[in-house]
Amino acid sequence: MGYSSILDWIIFKDVMDNAFYPFASYNLPFDISYKLWEIIGGLIAWLVNLLLPGNGLSTWLISDEVSNVFALVIFMIVIFAIAFVVTLISLWMERKVLGRLMDRRGTMIGLKGFLQCVADGLKTFMKENVIPRKVDKTTYMWTAALIIGTSVLIACMIPLSPRWFVVNYGTGLLIIMALFALAPFFILVSGWAQNNKYSLIGGMRAAELMISYEVPMLIMIATTCLLAGSFNINDIINAQFDTVWFIVPQIIGFITFIFCATAEAERVPFDIAEAEAELVEGWQTEYAGMKWGLIMLADYMRGYVSCAMVVIMYLGGWLIPFASADMNGWIPEIVFLLKVWLIFFIMILLRGALARVRTDQIVNIGWKVFMPLSVLNLAVVLVLKLGGVF
Amino acid sequence: MAWSKYKTEYIDSDRSPAGSLWVMKPLWKVFRFFCKTVVHRPVTILYPYEKMWMPENYRGRPGLRFDRCVACGMCAKMCPTACIKLVETEDASGQKVMRPQINLGRCAMCGYCAEYCPLDAMTVTPEFELAEYTREDLIYGPKRLAYEGATEKMEIHLEQTLMSDIKNGNSERRISPFKIDRPVLDAAKCISCKKCEKVCPVKAVKMVEHGVNEKGRPILYPEFNNDACICCENCVEDCPKDALRINEVL
Amino acid sequence: MMAKNDIVYDPDSHLQTDKMWVIMGPQHPFSHGLWTLKAQLDGEIVTDAEPIIGYLHRGWEKECENRIYPKIIPMADRLCYAASMTYTHLYCMTVEKALGIDIPEKAKYIRMIGDEICRIQSHLMWLAAVGTDLGNLTVFLWSMREREFFMDLNVRLCGARMTTNFPRIGGVRNDINDDFVMYTKRCINRFEKAIWDVISLIDDSSTFVSRMKGTGVLTRERCANLGITGPAMRGTGVDFDVRRDDPYDNYDKVEFEVPVLKDGDSYSRYKIRIEEMFQSCKIIMQALEKIQAIGKNAPYRLKVPSKVPAGRAFMRMEDPRGESMMCLISDGSDKPYRLKVRSPIFVNVSAAKPLVQGCRIADVPVVMAMIDMCLGETDR
Repeated sequence: MGYSSILDWIIFKDVMDNAFYPFASYNLPFDISYKLWEIIGGLIAWLVNLLLPGNGLSTWLISDEVSNVFALVIFMIVIFAIAFVVTLISLWMERKVLGRLMDRRGTMIGLKGFLQCVADGLKTFMKENVIPRKVDKTTYMWTAALIIGTSVLIACMIPLSPRWFVVNYGTGLLIIMALFALAPFFILVSGWAQNNKYSLIGGMRAAELMISYEVPMLIMIATTCLLAGSFNINDIINAQFDTVWFIVPQIIGFITFIFCATAEAERVPFDIAEAEAELVEGWQTEYAGMKWGLIMLADYMRGYVSCAMVVIMYLGGWLIPFASADMNGWIPEIVFLLKVWLIFFIMILLRGALARVRTDQIVNIGWKVFMPLSVLNLAVVLVLKLGGVF
Repeated sequence: MAWSKYKTEYIDSDRSPAGSLWVMKPLWKVFRFFCKTVVHRPVTILYPYEKMWMPENYRGRPGLRFDRCVACGMCAKMCPTACIKLVETEDASGQKVMRPQINLGRCAMCGYCAEYCPLDAMTVTPEFELAEYTREDLIYGPKRLAYEGATEKMEIHLEQTLMSDIKNGNSERRISPFKIDRPVLDAAKCISCKKCEKVCPVKAVKMVEHGVNEKGRPILYPEFNNDACICCENCVEDCPKDALRINEVL
Repeated sequence: MMAKNDIVYDPDSHLQTDKMWVIMGPQHPFSHGLWTLKAQLDGEIVTDAEPIIGYLHRGWEKECENRIYPKIIPMADRLCYAASMTYTHLYCMTVEKALGIDIPEKAKYIRMIGDEICRIQSHLMWLAAVGTDLGNLTVFLWSMREREFFMDLNVRLCGARMTTNFPRIGGVRNDINDDFVMYTKRCINRFEKAIWDVISLIDDSSTFVSRMKGTGVLTRERCANLGITGPAMRGTGVDFDVRRDDPYDNYDKVEFEVPVLKDGDSYSRYKIRIEEMFQSCKIIMQALEKIQAIGKNAPYRLKVPSKVPAGRAFMRMEDPRGESMMCLISDGSDKPYRLKVRSPIFVNVSAAKPLVQGCRIADVPVVMAMIDMCLGETDR
């Protein structure tokens, strides 16, 4: 074979023409990663073909099957990078907003303080990996990995638009909730494994926290799904497009859910598991350096997921208010993220305004306030549904 | 007035936060404040670039006016942390003189050296950024202690009122103790050693001959020039026979 | 539902579980200063507690015996960093009593202003600490911001922000000027508005109030037996304030109220401190008017003898934290023979056990914050 042009190897095929396309509908991040792999794989294939003309490797690299596999690897990186950047932006936003409402300036390093995240990451990365001698090392490391892992997993699983998703499950909201509720178990085990009294109390409190808000939260998720008639996130938002945003019939649920979501993300009024006033840092006491940095990041990812759930369930996801179907096709990802940050702003205000509640109080609130409210919300929705309004 | 508002609304009445919707009022307050600080700048200052305004009488490190100082040692005597030491140095004309040196690592910035300086040679200065790389660098010698632009307000004048003045109805007179307290001699104890003349920083002591003793040597008693004396008590402290004491005018 | 708090530790009603000792301090976020609270926990409930102090002992009283009288003034500043002028004031009053002199009226009012500025400053610092102990940083920063304005007043008064070194034996260091009068009035007018931000953040928030209400309850009798003084005592219903009942300087010539509450819980202690700040503002305004009536050239500092006649003198005063006393024994020289300090926190901290017993561990920082720990004076 003679010389072949690079353009013979980089063929921009439509991703949907791939016989092994893994998704049911069009997926934008997969399209991007597929195109990226077509460039990278085509380049490699072309180079290999230049050196060893007529080999099988080059054609193998750009075949449908292999392209798909490598595109999926890039797809994972793209999805994680976006979730990571969104988390960093909410972290930056928290620092700036919290600073401003406390009459100070917040972080000041680079890009209006955004680069402080990078500085923090580098700093924790440079730290020595300290593992206390008396901890149960295996459990100590594994629980941290699982807490971070599950948090990153759900942060990646949040769909930003009908074309930006990882999986389009029929039970999407339930899967997210299930993974979300896993972390307190790991926190409990990790608190035990650390062999530290503060951590132990912190771990116990995480379990206490979980039993108090998880049930009302699940009831409210069920209510929304009842209203939409589906657990699928796409369907829920389409239902909100067809009728009204669910904040209108479920205003009680919306307010209750914001508080429950704050508790789920272990943010200030409900961060009893890491109450720094009495428990130093709660269950994170013995984690140092990069482990702590990653746990912190996972915390903010959980915050992002909590806000995203509020947006999906009550604020119409990626829908622009009072807009027609054509307009909603326009950058829905940005609309979704803006709504997420709006809810996160409310969470920051909660953090700025409220004090930490006590353990017995949170159980009280959970069972005596949130629980009746969520049941009331369910009743309202049932009446509306039976009355034929929805 | 505002001071009765808290008492009537919060202390005397049985107020419950449920009346202001549990957590809604603080949330609203915080949100309003956020909007305010987004428009206006926060109250904090960007320290290394912007600096806080300091009044002239701010008590930073002590500053020395080299020419006014007479090395009476009053500052070293009064320093509560004993960070002042008199060291030998050269003045403008090359003569060897004693001047205070301050170890700012120990200085408590109490301002006593400036307050008790009889000649206001020591002042307070508004300089507070004193970080150095080594401890030795923190020791400020007499030349380094000089502060450019020492103003009148940086001096601290010791203005006191005498109790006798208040009794006499002359209560508005303020006077420095360095102007009225003077050493007095108990002539019976004096051995004419001339030490007081030597240690006096302002040369206010003059040994005057009062006849001769039985061995034929001259008897010298110190005489004090009350206008020049600054009441530094050096003569009192160095007198080997405790023949001198300070007469405190009260 | 949240306001009512009926946690009373009753060993029979609980599961018999292992108890564990948790050592909180000396390096712990809740201990403001260096002290340790050993707490025995049964689950989350504190069953026993033991305060340990002494980490900051500097031999203050002994060191005073080797210093001439004026040189003790800067040291007395360092007894309590949050309200430095009160201890200096107390020391000067004690020496003046030993000397048997009466200081000029103007000096008394200036000292009174300084005292009340320090009281507000100290209470604001306490308010900031309450904020962090309850997990809210906004309260911390807002009250620290308010405190900063009073620090600026200190600078205008005497040139130093914290360790003021301002009262002198026989008067005060320097006279106040017109600028100071103007800025004090302005600062207090500002403070009376700005503190309402913090008040509405705490008093109108059910999270704050429910955390404070009903925790750390002390009865009047218990309080008397433990020797607790200050706002913690007035929170239990004892109507006593040295400023009013045994007036020193010119406190009998100004009008102010002593807030007293009967509940004896953390929240009543909180409310009393807030009200005291308003009363301090009132006192400062009155004292400023009286000073202006006295006139500019009035004496403010007496010349005092350097030697104190042999004998003993005792004075007490109302510190921001309680009742502090000093006893001076003099042997006629220019140095004290013995100077004994009774600091309120040294006594108040002994109430740690009855206060936190039966509380939850989460309440310990709040309850102890209401004592307003200051370890500089406790350990001396």
